[in-house]
Amino acid sequence: MIEEAREEQITNGQSFSAGGEFRSLDPRVVKLWLVTDLIGYGFLLSIMLISLLVWMLVQPLLSLWLIAGWVVLAGICLWFSFWRPSRAYRAWSYRIDKQVLETRSGIVFHRTRLLPLSRLQHVDLERGPLERMYGLSSLVLHTAGTHSANLRIPGLDAHEAVLLRDRLVEIGGEDAV
Amino acid sequence: MQSELLDFKGRLHPLTLLFGILKGLRGIPLIPLVFFGGRWTWVLPILFMFTVISILSAFIRYFSFSYHIQGNELITQQGIIERKQRIIPLERVQEISIEQSVFQRLFDVVEAKIETGGGQGAEATLSVLSRSEADRLRRAVFDRVEAIKARGVDPELVQPPIPRERMVIHRLGINDLVIAGLTTNHLVSAMVLAGALWNFADDILPDTIYQRAADIIYSLTRQLAAQGAMQAIIIAAVGVFSILVIGLLFSILGSILLFYGFTFSRRGEDLHRAYGLFTQRASSLPRHRIQVLKIEEKMMRRLFGLATLRADTSGRTRENEDDNEGRDVLIPIVKRAAIDQLLPVIFPDYISDRAEWKRVSKLAIRRGMVKGGIFCLLVASALFTYQREFIALWPLLFLPIIYLVNLIRYRNLGYAMGDLYFRTRHGWLGRSTQIVPINKIQAVEVSQTPFDRRLGLATMSVDTAGQAFTGGGPHVTNLPIAEAQTIAATLAQRAGTTNYKW
Repeated sequence: MIEEAREEQITNGQSFSAGGEFRSLDPRVVKLWLVTDLIGYGFLLSIMLISLLVWMLVQPLLSLWLIAGWVVLAGICLWFSFWRPSRAYRAWSYRIDKQVLETRSGIVFHRTRLLPLSRLQHVDLERGPLERMYGLSSLVLHTAGTHSANLRIPGLDAHEAVLLRDRLVEIGGEDAV
Repeated sequence: MQSELLDFKGRLHPLTLLFGILKGLRGIPLIPLVFFGGRWTWVLPILFMFTVISILSAFIRYFSFSYHIQGNELITQQGIIERKQRIIPLERVQEISIEQSVFQRLFDVVEAKIETGGGQGAEATLSVLSRSEADRLRRAVFDRVEAIKARGVDPELVQPPIPRERMVIHRLGINDLVIAGLTTNHLVSAMVLAGALWNFADDILPDTIYQRAADIIYSLTRQLAAQGAMQAIIIAAVGVFSILVIGLLFSILGSILLFYGFTFSRRGEDLHRAYGLFTQRASSLPRHRIQVLKIEEKMMRRLFGLATLRADTSGRTRENEDDNEGRDVLIPIVKRAAIDQLLPVIFPDYISDRAEWKRVSKLAIRRGMVKGGIFCLLVASALFTYQREFIALWPLLFLPIIYLVNLIRYRNLGYAMGDLYFRTRHGWLGRSTQIVPINKIQAVEVSQTPFDRRLGLATMSVDTAGQAFTGGGPHVTNLPIAEAQTIAATLAQRAGTTNYKW
């Protein structure tokens, strides 16, 4: 399915010039992360709530405080789910510059990762069920390294991800020395 | 010549059966015995069943295990019901290391471990082979690897003939090993071992002997304690000193046991290490597999101008930094000055790469001071609130020492960017230098903690294959952010223009 879409896109000529300017992720990723965070925190909070309720049945001590604490925690998680995705989106950028893929990310801890494309072993295209709903996918780049062995670019438009992957593999395969 | 290379098959040595059975027998009795104590009638049939099962599986493993070389691959097969076939591309074989325990030496059989670039340790372990068979396998694999490489090379280029003899580069005698034992950082663990052993003596020695020894010590102590606090202190000092001595002895013993007869030699592209007293180990390492070379000068060794040479290779995982079996150690102990001559042996084009060491930002000293200072302040205030005396503020006396430590640390911190090699250095009491061939760099990273951002600094780190312990690869902290980005970009580009060879 993705491959058919790719053939359509070639005519649109979305190419990534090798003397790169920074590109952002797809804006839809903000919503995706919001939903993912909400689901994740919601799950944890409900488990917490259930155990709190069970605790309260057994030991009614401090019930009010516990419930109050849970509400505060839920509020913080809710706020965080709305705050983080847009900040993370703004922090994310990537570019291809002189046969090196550079990604920048991180809200509190800034991280720049440089991957010489000739070191690229292979590229995975990943789409979770939620990502599919939003028409997004992630690229995972593999090198032979240890700590930076997997470099993940999330939140790419599905068609662009395929194009980017092909472009990366193409540059990586260009004969060096 | 081609036909010679085509057909290579092998089986494990028949003694594998013996070792397998012994291993099986060894494992059984403990667990059921622990559970059932003295109720032998319950235990016997279970024991019997376990023994039969393990003997049977040893048989199956031996008879079904075979290996052969087909085309460009080494293929091992095992199992009857569930056939397991493992295919190892020959060019990915990094090393075939040979190990021989004391017991195996009695029968002159060895274990061959085939390691590849996957970094998961041994891809396949052949246990046990006769020594001649192991050598035959080794030669067969590496001859083919060379043949494969030769095919890919321009026939115009003249290949230098590969010398048949080994050139010994460095040998370690007993003296060196004793010094290694005396100067090891493992001293603490050796002492802990000594202390633990004392506890064990309680269980091992017959009660009467232990009691008598303890009585003698107690009575001595009481006599001397009766003569005043001074004597008691002396006794305590003697006690600590003897534990120290025992620890040192253990350390020396361990060093000799592990690295006895250490020989570091070279044959063409191959670096070869052979060592060990009870368990003998020999392993080959093609020079170009070395991803990072580390010159470790830990505190004690640095005092005497000594260092340890280690290498990260692409076929190796290390669980922890003190890999006790010495597998990643190129040379356990060597004079620091001698290393400069050794480097061209390991990195043939190193001699032309004399870049200068560059320092990092001076703010590093301030940061270290702030961190240390805050810590001292916290401890001092805690003590002060607890004791309410000015004397409790003694941790503050450490402040000048903290400054000194950070100054030394700053002077040892640095990097050197050459055309072909990138070097980093850090440490204060001990010092550690890492040399990375730029064509081994896989990825580069520049990161900033919130504190880094406030000061405009960053940490730059280089990722290579084959590092598995949490020490982190070559990295430089406290670089001005612009400089860090520039170096990172330069390294990434230079790395990108070279091909990475496994």
